[in-house]
Amino acid sequence: MGCSASSAGKSSGLVRGSTLENSGMSDSKNLRIKLVLLGDSGVGKSCIVLRFVRGQFDPSSKVTVGASFLSQTIALQDSTTVKFEIWDTAGQERYASLAPLYYRGASAAVIVYDITCMETFHKAQFWVKELQKHGNPNIVMALVGNKADLEESRSVGHDVAQAYADANGMFLIETSAKTADNINQLFEEIAKRLPRTTPLQT
Amino acid sequence: METDSARESGEEENGFTQPEIGDDDIDNVAEDFRDGLGLLSPKEKTMEERRNGTLDSDNDSDDNSRIRTVDENGNADDSSRIEVEEGQSDSSRIEVEEGQSDSSRIEVEEGQADSNRQIAEFSSENNNFVEGHKEISEAREHLEDDFSEQEIEVEAPTSPSSSGYAGGRGSSSAASIGSASGSEEIRDALRSGDGVTECFGNGNGEHRGQASWAHGKRYSNEDETSISWRKRKKHFFVLSHSGKPIYSRYGDEHKLAGFSATLQAIVSFVENGGDHIKLVRAGNHQIIFLVKGPIYLVCISCTEEPFQALKGQLELLYDQMLLILTKSIDKCFEKNSKFDMTPLLGGTDVVFSSLIHAFSWNPATYLHAYTCLPLRHSTRQAAGAILQDVADSGVLFAILMCRHKVISLFGAQKAILHPDDMLLLSNFVLSSESFRTSESFSPICLPQFNPMAFLYAYVQYLGVDTYLMLLTTDSDSFFHLKECRIRIENVLVKSNVLSEVQRSMLDGCLRVEDLPGDPTLPSDSLSFRLRRDKNLQVAGSSTGTGRNTGIGGPAGLWHFMYRSNYLDQYVASEFSPPINSRNAQKRLFRAYQKLHTSMHDKDVGPHKMQYRKDENYVLLCWITQEFELYAAFDPLAEKSSAITVCNRVCQWLRDVESEIFLLEASPLSW
Ligand SMILES: Nc1nc2c(ncn2[C@@H]2O[C@H](COP(=O)(O)OP(=O)(O)O)[C@@H](O)[C@H]2O)c(=O)[nH]1
Ligand SMILES: [Mg+2]
Repeated sequence: MGCSASSAGKSSGLVRGSTLENSGMSDSKNLRIKLVLLGDSGVGKSCIVLRFVRGQFDPSSKVTVGASFLSQTIALQDSTTVKFEIWDTAGQERYASLAPLYYRGASAAVIVYDITCMETFHKAQFWVKELQKHGNPNIVMALVGNKADLEESRSVGHDVAQAYADANGMFLIETSAKTADNINQLFEEIAKRLPRTTPLQT
Repeated sequence: METDSARESGEEENGFTQPEIGDDDIDNVAEDFRDGLGLLSPKEKTMEERRNGTLDSDNDSDDNSRIRTVDENGNADDSSRIEVEEGQSDSSRIEVEEGQSDSSRIEVEEGQADSNRQIAEFSSENNNFVEGHKEISEAREHLEDDFSEQEIEVEAPTSPSSSGYAGGRGSSSAASIGSASGSEEIRDALRSGDGVTECFGNGNGEHRGQASWAHGKRYSNEDETSISWRKRKKHFFVLSHSGKPIYSRYGDEHKLAGFSATLQAIVSFVENGGDHIKLVRAGNHQIIFLVKGPIYLVCISCTEEPFQALKGQLELLYDQMLLILTKSIDKCFEKNSKFDMTPLLGGTDVVFSSLIHAFSWNPATYLHAYTCLPLRHSTRQAAGAILQDVADSGVLFAILMCRHKVISLFGAQKAILHPDDMLLLSNFVLSSESFRTSESFSPICLPQFNPMAFLYAYVQYLGVDTYLMLLTTDSDSFFHLKECRIRIENVLVKSNVLSEVQRSMLDGCLRVEDLPGDPTLPSDSLSFRLRRDKNLQVAGSSTGTGRNTGIGGPAGLWHFMYRSNYLDQYVASEFSPPINSRNAQKRLFRAYQKLHTSMHDKDVGPHKMQYRKDENYVLLCWITQEFELYAAFDPLAEKSSAITVCNRVCQWLRDVESEIFLLEASPLSW
């Protein structure tokens, strides 16, 4: 598996030639996009997805071992719908060489760190660089500081993260999968930022 | 056979009298620890003779026993070339060696009695015979007077001579180990530590040889945890050749760096001499090493499981690691010998601990076979048809399972799924909660199929315990597999397969009580007893008390396990009273495991049948080209009726084979 995003991933995620990226129909009113979650283990990626997709939070959540696929459709105010096809990957260190399998052709990436742990913020920066190098060039990137409910133990300042996000053309949002704070907003914001034009069908 | 029966009936009173040993201490040793191990005995010759004697007694063959055995040429032979061993004989060395127990053992596990140091020494005397026989050279160290003798057995591929190596090792010992601290560590690892004596709660006041695998000084700051850590009966460690911890069953790998380094020192010390360390015996602990390139696997156990069994477990542990990472992990060590592997295994602890747990309940771990969920033939065919359909569309393997039992599976042409791969794959999926949450598509490696390459596993649960695994080599085929799953699920729902699966889970598998009577059997007193047993069955199972023949199946049959050698599948009866407590099940599991090991001991040659008796049960193992049968009976069961019942079990399984086995999956269909 190559490391670079070889597919001509236009931002709608309507990428052809590779079934992992997509299949089925998507039009300007109904987007279907591939989204990948990246970040150190334990930052809350799986919790974010499960909160978004199922509205649940399980504090005893289990370590992800493989790569899970979940999807969720949201309706926007302009009466368009966006179906997120989400890859929640585990063991990104383990499968470092395989990570491109999951982010290749992705239209959106959610890069998560834990606001109570500086190390996870550094890890997030690693993923940002990785995507800048090898990801879809038009990818919408969200920098997510999760566990915002643990304000008292915060060790990654909002300003620092904001500055980093601005410098790298991403948007920052602080979430809590536990309280559901900003979870839907995260995905709505991504949906809004997705380019609206359907790639040419040839 | 009659001669045998006669001799046994004399022994039946106490179950396991051993006149040949004539040592009271040994009589106290639970049979569990001596069975299956007559093979390494210094009395081997006697055993051989006796077996030959048995062979000669063909004419005495009991009419009731319709056991067919297969001779060396694979010819079935009705004249019962049955080789019977009572099991309580011949095993003086091993019994003592392995049976050297302490009182804490009794509470915890196998209910074993005390034995003493004297016996340990006696056993050491006999080692040369055994090791010579096994082409293992032996090095014995006298570390300090205080310490009991430790034996180190190493494989010496170039020279099987034992004495030369032992001498060489002794003289070069200090020099080779190098640094003083290194030698201290080795000694500490091997020495019998006071802390251990204390934590094992042994009150016999004797200084027994036991491995203190905790490095006393280093872990003195965590005494509570370290005591509990030492108390564990079975440790598994994985470390790199540079001594970096990779995995530990108990405790945090990183905190065990010092201990890991000790193990590494032991291994590399022996490896430098061109040999491979295999086994260290320290009192009632065995330390088993498995070297896989840059990865060392170690098991420290006082569970008395046979060496071969523990080695097999280390092999599976290694393969489980390969399933997650592939063998290309070796390259990381080529680039950087101090490579830290733990991040690569992050989050997979549960996979290993679940596998290690399987070593104490799942027969697949030593039978190298899988088991099927019992289903009506038509139901399984319906499932098989759709899986085959999918397998023909570019899926390498399509596997439908319920917990650890196979419902159906299909491989693409010529692709054969090894039972060990199946065990490790299902363990991987079952142990990781995240597979239950959603569908997934994960890189995995099937070590027996191809240890170097990743495959991709699409996994989705179709019910509470029922899950589908579709394996492919194509990393881009997620959506194709997802479609396949939808097709499969639709068919399974329509044809009621999923509800049948649910029902089968509730009904369970074969029960010994249901073993049908044999109409061809002459109506003698035996069949009368069988009928009576059948009537008593309900009452018997409700009382749940030990030793009466009314419990279980006919002729005191308590449990059986049957492996089809053509199919690489096994079936085991449900546990029923009196094998209903977790401990009783584990004890039987271990007894089968020992039986299995002894039946497959290469040094002694193939066994066709063993009949053993102890205070817990009569165990019968019978191996032909076609199958392996393991059966446990009430200790009061008579041998002739036990043999008859075994024949009926085999007949029964033949009659219901289409329901208990997956017949289509076999490369050699029968
Ligand atoms: N307090 C708090 N804990 C969280 C939050 N999100 C996740 N967690 C906890 O963080 C741990 C790891 O979460 P998980 O989703 O498995 O992390 P992942 O490895 O990134 O998928 C779990 O114990 C969660 O309960 C959050 O928003 N707030
Ligand atoms: Mg996760």
